[in-house]
Amino acid sequence: MSLEKVIFGFFVLLAATLNFGFFIGDLADPKLHNEYELFAAVVVNLIATVLKFGDRTQIGAVHLATSLVADLQLIAATLAWTWATQVSADGLDGESMAAVVSLSGGALLANIVSVVLLVIETVSFQRR
Amino acid sequence: MPGSRRWWRPGRDEQRPREARRWTRIAVAVQGPPTVFLILRRMRAPLIVLISIFAVSVLGLTLIPGRDDAGQPTRMGFFDAFYFMSYTATTIGYGEIPHAFTGAQRLWVTAAIYLTVIGWAYAIGSLLTLLQDRAFRQALALQRFTRTVARLREPFLLIAGYGQTGRLLGRELDALGRRLVVIDTDAERVDALDIDAYRSDVPGLAGDARNPQTMEHAGLGHPYCEGVLALTDDDEVNLAVTMTAALVRPDLPVIARTVSPAVEHRMAAFGSPTVVNPFDRYGDHLRLALRAPASYQLMAWLESGPGAALPERAQPPRAGRWVLCGYGRFGRELTEDLHAEGLTVTAIDIQAVACAEPWVIPGDGSEPQVMAAADLAHAVGFVAGTDNDTTNLSLVAAARHINPGLFVASRQNRPETAPLFAAMRIDSLLVPAEVVAHEIYAQLSTPLLWRFLREMPALGDEWARTMVERLQRHCGRRLPGLWRTTLDASETPALARRLREGRATLGDLLRRPVDREQRLDIVPLLILRDGQVTLGPADDHVLQAGDQLLLAGQPPEQRALTDTLTIDSVSRYVLYGQRVPSSWIWRRLTRSNP
Repeated sequence: MSLEKVIFGFFVLLAATLNFGFFIGDLADPKLHNEYELFAAVVVNLIATVLKFGDRTQIGAVHLATSLVADLQLIAATLAWTWATQVSADGLDGESMAAVVSLSGGALLANIVSVVLLVIETVSFQRR
Repeated sequence: MPGSRRWWRPGRDEQRPREARRWTRIAVAVQGPPTVFLILRRMRAPLIVLISIFAVSVLGLTLIPGRDDAGQPTRMGFFDAFYFMSYTATTIGYGEIPHAFTGAQRLWVTAAIYLTVIGWAYAIGSLLTLLQDRAFRQALALQRFTRTVARLREPFLLIAGYGQTGRLLGRELDALGRRLVVIDTDAERVDALDIDAYRSDVPGLAGDARNPQTMEHAGLGHPYCEGVLALTDDDEVNLAVTMTAALVRPDLPVIARTVSPAVEHRMAAFGSPTVVNPFDRYGDHLRLALRAPASYQLMAWLESGPGAALPERAQPPRAGRWVLCGYGRFGRELTEDLHAEGLTVTAIDIQAVACAEPWVIPGDGSEPQVMAAADLAHAVGFVAGTDNDTTNLSLVAAARHINPGLFVASRQNRPETAPLFAAMRIDSLLVPAEVVAHEIYAQLSTPLLWRFLREMPALGDEWARTMVERLQRHCGRRLPGLWRTTLDASETPALARRLREGRATLGDLLRRPVDREQRLDIVPLLILRDGQVTLGPADDHVLQAGDQLLLAGQPPEQRALTDTLTIDSVSRYVLYGQRVPSSWIWRRLTRSNP
């Protein structure tokens, strides 16, 4: 067992689960989506991205790409949330909440791909 | 649409030979590690630390209860917290927003400030360490070198070994406008490339030329690579370079230097490299100097490259006995050559065994009794041929002391000792690096010069003497530029009619465009026609289309001749003595039809 693999798997999976936790629930209902969960998802996703830096294999490259996509989506979601709470006159209404949650939904898809890649990598790994 | 796939037109400077349009790759993973990966890999830990510290600080700020201006309990939002941490961590510090902090918040912020400072210091420190890192810098240098080489879009020569020979040759070839790429194991020599005054940019890599990958990085597979020169002072490296070049690019000419006939033989097993053995060549030169001093003088002059001063005409004694100190590879080669010229030789060598050839005296040449046994007083020539310059110098001094009239030859191994040898006034000096550089220069500069040098000795000493005098009269004591001209439609468009008439003589061509009664100070060295050469052609030599000329002259004279060959109105005046207007309108008006 290598500690590096444990940490790597932990963060990739945690990024996906946090993302899922934020995403689940009625799209337009702000009460069902916790902002702390979104914050945690962004931070864990960033850490997962940095962990994927510098791997020169093909699967490593795809890993990094999915993480970058998830980051992009989540940062867009936080920006939308910030706009709604700080700038917009209407505040965090159903419409803007739907935008935030659907953006995080896109990130969830990328995170799922990331997890699938992790599983594929694990399954195809053979110790000789 | 037919032809639509080739919408681009190759540029005018497109010189790539048709058969070599693609790179020849030798290994799959030849690229070095992209430096961006290296940075990312090393920066993983600091970046994660930074992200974590930020996350913890921001989260803490949002959780700790605060108080608004009205004194009501409130909490900081994520956005405010992130904004606050961003300007605090980067030491900008706008103050406490949106409301003044409570004691609990200030406590947390104090801790967060110290944490983020540590995080930033760690991240920036890691980045700076990485930039200083030797492996990283090497990776950067390799990447830059590979990119520079890959972007070359004109023919270049790949030089392995940038020692004395490489530097000499590099300078001469650069003066001819050739592009070079250099590999050497010594990083200092490669760094010296930046200091050396080259007209064009010479990419250099510190690496082992024995490694095919290094050769690949240096552009061995590059479509514009036009030749490989193996010039290191290590025979094995030269052999490895020759092998690599012959196996990867059999079409490329390879020139290798070696001092060992055995290695020469092994090199010849791979394709047909041109092998230059300085000892062998020096022996040949000495034989030529013995037989025809003027021929040797002319050869040495032309080989030295543009701007070289006319060398002294050495007069080695043609009869008598020579004494040789040092009977290694060089001594053996030279003894053979001297024997072939019918001279007797006495050789002294410290390592020679008594039962060797009868003319060898075992012993240390610096000991008086050994010198006495060689009987220098009755010898005519003396060669100090050991591989130690100090020994050579002292041997020469000792020999001169015994017999001041000796013809003295010596081998100079290190460039630093050149002033000492110059002060000793050695009659014939062998500098292996120079011999190799001059030989390769003669082969690479123009094929016609090489042809000239090979055919010239057959014409005899008297002919060479006249040629040296002619060159000196027309061009001065410094070697003028040598250049090649082909009489065809592209290089000499203004000459086409005269060539068709079959009346163009060399003398007509060399009239001065300012005053056709005068002759340009240009010496024609050679004319090549259908594989047949004429050396030193006279002025009444009739020229034909397709002739190739090798000419010598100062740059202004060369420009004047180029005018004659390319500008119609100039050639009309020079060849026919007619003054025609040079513009199209005036020609129409004066109706002087060509």
